[in-house]
Amino acid sequence: MRRERGRRPRKKVCSFCVEKVQDVDYKDVGKLRKFITDRGKILPRRISGNCAKHQREATIAIKRARNIALLPFTSD
Amino acid sequence: MRTYELMYIIRPDLDEEALNGVVDKFDQLITNHGGEVINTNRWGKRRLAYEINDYREGFYILEHFKGNSATEIELERVLKLTDAVLRFLITRKL
Repeated sequence: MRRERGRRPRKKVCSFCVEKVQDVDYKDVGKLRKFITDRGKILPRRISGNCAKHQREATIAIKRARNIALLPFTSD
Repeated sequence: MRTYELMYIIRPDLDEEALNGVVDKFDQLITNHGGEVINTNRWGKRRLAYEINDYREGFYILEHFKGNSATEIELERVLKLTDAVLRFLITRKL
């Protein structure tokens, strides 16, 4: 069903599935940065487009990366 | 034996010699407690995403090793009481 106003949501695909990633690595800061906001929060699945499995793994990876100071808990 | 991945951050104000000393210490610790170091990778000095103990950067060391849980527990204990180590993270590799 299409709403009167607003854009029709585009079908999103999980980027980890596309690349056939086996396990999400906390050391891959460049890729993980795409899944956090500029304030450092983790993007929700409805925005990142990740599948459930990879969103779960990405969340753990981001939290590990934060712990070892590769990613910020908060910025500014 | 399980494969573990260890990443730790060493204080940036240590000189080359002291840094080598710390890295060697952990390598030996793993070997002495029934473990086996697979490889040690120095990332070098990196900016931290946030300040830790007033330091803005640190030496990152990434290491893979084989060992059992006793190795891991002892390693964790020593990492905690080594002042030169700012942070560490041990994960198990599948």
